[in-house]
Amino acid sequence: MDILYLLIPLSTVLVLGIIGVFGWALHGGQFDDLEQHGAQILQADAGSVDPCQGP
Amino acid sequence: MAASAQAIDRIAAAPAMALLDDAAELARFTRWLPARDGQRTGESSLRIGGMHCAACAGLIEAALRRVDGVVDARVSAAAQSATVQWDATRTRPSALVRAIEQAGYSALPDTAAGARALRLKESRAAVWRLFVAAFCAMQVMMLATPSYISGPGELAPDLKQLLDWGSWLLALPVLLFAAAPFFTGAWRSVRVGRIGMDVPVALGIGVAFLASSGAAFAPGGLFGTEVYFDSLTMFVSFLLGGRYLEMRARHRAAVALEDSVGRLPETAWRECADGSVEAVSVLRLQRGDTVRVAAGQAFAADGVLLRGATRVDESLLSGESVPVDKGVGAALAAGSMNLDAPVVMRVERVGADTRFEAIVALMREARTQRPAMLRSADRWAAPFLWSVLLLAAGAAAVWSVIDPSRAVWVAVSVLIVTCPCALSLAVPSALLSATAAMARRGVLLRQAVDRLEAIDGLARMDTLFIDKTGTLTQKESGGVQMIRVDDGAHWSEATLRGRAASLAAWSTHPVARALAADRAGDATAWRDVRELPGQGLEARDPDGTRWQLGRCAAATLDERGIASIAVDAWLSCDGQPLAGFRFAESLRADAAAAVAALQRDGVRVALLSGDTPARVERIGRLLGLTDCRGGLAPDAKLAAVRAAQARGERVAMIGDGINDAPVLAQADTSLAMGEGAQIARAQADGVLVSNALHDVVRARALARRSLRVMRQNLVWAAAYNAACVPLALLGWLPPWAAGLGMATSSLVVVLNSLRLAR
Repeated sequence: MDILYLLIPLSTVLVLGIIGVFGWALHGGQFDDLEQHGAQILQADAGSVDPCQGP
Repeated sequence: MAASAQAIDRIAAAPAMALLDDAAELARFTRWLPARDGQRTGESSLRIGGMHCAACAGLIEAALRRVDGVVDARVSAAAQSATVQWDATRTRPSALVRAIEQAGYSALPDTAAGARALRLKESRAAVWRLFVAAFCAMQVMMLATPSYISGPGELAPDLKQLLDWGSWLLALPVLLFAAAPFFTGAWRSVRVGRIGMDVPVALGIGVAFLASSGAAFAPGGLFGTEVYFDSLTMFVSFLLGGRYLEMRARHRAAVALEDSVGRLPETAWRECADGSVEAVSVLRLQRGDTVRVAAGQAFAADGVLLRGATRVDESLLSGESVPVDKGVGAALAAGSMNLDAPVVMRVERVGADTRFEAIVALMREARTQRPAMLRSADRWAAPFLWSVLLLAAGAAAVWSVIDPSRAVWVAVSVLIVTCPCALSLAVPSALLSATAAMARRGVLLRQAVDRLEAIDGLARMDTLFIDKTGTLTQKESGGVQMIRVDDGAHWSEATLRGRAASLAAWSTHPVARALAADRAGDATAWRDVRELPGQGLEARDPDGTRWQLGRCAAATLDERGIASIAVDAWLSCDGQPLAGFRFAESLRADAAAAVAALQRDGVRVALLSGDTPARVERIGRLLGLTDCRGGLAPDAKLAAVRAAQARGERVAMIGDGINDAPVLAQADTSLAMGEGAQIARAQADGVLVSNALHDVVRARALARRSLRVMRQNLVWAAAYNAACVPLALLGWLPPWAAGLGMATSSLVVVLNSLRLAR
């Protein structure tokens, strides 16, 4: 059970890390509109294709 | 007042669209991007109406991109708005609006973009705090679980210590960041020497954290070994959850308000040098312009009265409710209301004092309304909060004698459980979501009135008086029928029609508007134009001959043997009728259904009209009404309402005209049509934005539900506090249960209120 002495502090730090990631996503505007981007894929002429995704 | 900007007069709509391209109007919803290679690119914000799903956004974007000159278009479904970048050399905003309208949606300039950005910021901050609190609370709960489920001696003391330290570390962001609004709120109210709702909350959180920290870092010391970080974090996250829901409701109300205030440019009628009149944007008015202001309209700018005499309602500015007489040379203030007669004014000052600034201020007030409500709650809450603090201190003192290790926790429990959030949210949250729901259903309650009273009146009305012309019926422009009763020698038909149209242009009455819209008026320079409520217009032509448009004395009609001819308006010269005008008048599409629904609902519906009794009877028969009173002057209408009130009935009134304004003010609850005269809208408790009478039926049902929800909320909140305080005092309620109970009771109240907004 000695591993708990490592895992508990580690999990606590991990939680703080996850909070940081969520904050980054939130302030980047990813949660401002949850529906529109899902519907975009249904449109035939949905604008430009992301060049990183290949041709 | 907020609603009064909404009505887009049917006649004013055409010039208003062209005014969109006016540089002064443009500046309100467009910013200019830095020029590249000499190209001028504007970025306009537009408010889109008629979007029902997220997929609509793509359709509108596509429609906008097809317009020649559009550089980029982005449509947000959630915000119901579009941001369009366009090339100033190739297109105009009116073309963009037209493209959106052709795609089947409506678009208005979006002047509230700044407010929306502010709301977005506020909502992000709230989600962020809520997430930090809730996520940390879950983790703390996990770390706290071992000490709950382990038997005595099973948990090694050093492991317990490690878990406590972990909990402390995770509770730190909750206390320092997520709970910061409570501490700042408490500090603010302490600094001004008043006790607020945040004080016991902040005290509870602070004491719980300090005591738990003491127990975590010095076990067995002053604060024993028990830590309550889990209760603390959960309490904060529930409290923030309640506030988040409340903020959402507030934002929704603000959006509903903005939707209805979105408008085409406000038009002023400016006289040119040659005596003709042109429609210009209010923003275009300059010092020295001469402007025509019809009776029932507001003055668009500060200025001096040039021609005519009238009475002016300056209550918005001075609070003085008695109308002020104004003659030639008198000073006129922007935002005050022209009551009696159409006049001509010279503009002296424009800008920040206009009616729109007042509306903008009202919207700002709507956004900041919660603090105002909280302030009023704080007044009666102060004695309550003091007794909570005393109770907590007393409980701590008593328990420190009985069992010192529990004294702090009992005090914390009392502080938390008595938080009167639920009680203070009960009525405001229901009012807020009811107002928003009504606005979405087309009934806009004005800011200035007591909404609780308006909703109460709407739910309990026994008698509904309805005005006929413009409210139950609408004039169909086009197809104006002229019946000549003169000898036919002196005036040509075109002259008479032109005279009537140019005189009618001075009024906002539905009949006059239909007449003015029918054809262009001639260029008669009318003098001494007066509008007598319920009678019509009276003016002198340049030769000094007196002309009247409207009612004609019954005696004159009898004498001439033409009393049987039913017309909407007589054109008379020197008291002698020359011609009558008759319009195709049609019931509003939903009038019959709405009246029938109200009667089924137990409301006595009666017609009060200034029109001829025969026509009122006819409309009454169409609707199946027995109580139809025609030929009433404004004071006779007022007397009818007063008589009903004297019989103990709760009276509601729906009207649209200048002559309805006093009645609207007298009735217990009153609604004005959105396209009605400004003064009618200013006197009413609410405005039917879409002019649909069926909205009244729905608003009444909603008002009843609102009252029921308010009662439920109050009973629930009072019962909760009454039950839990003794439990906490007796020490039977641990802090975590107190936090859960308090947050649940607030959430129940808020969620119960939100049912109304659906």
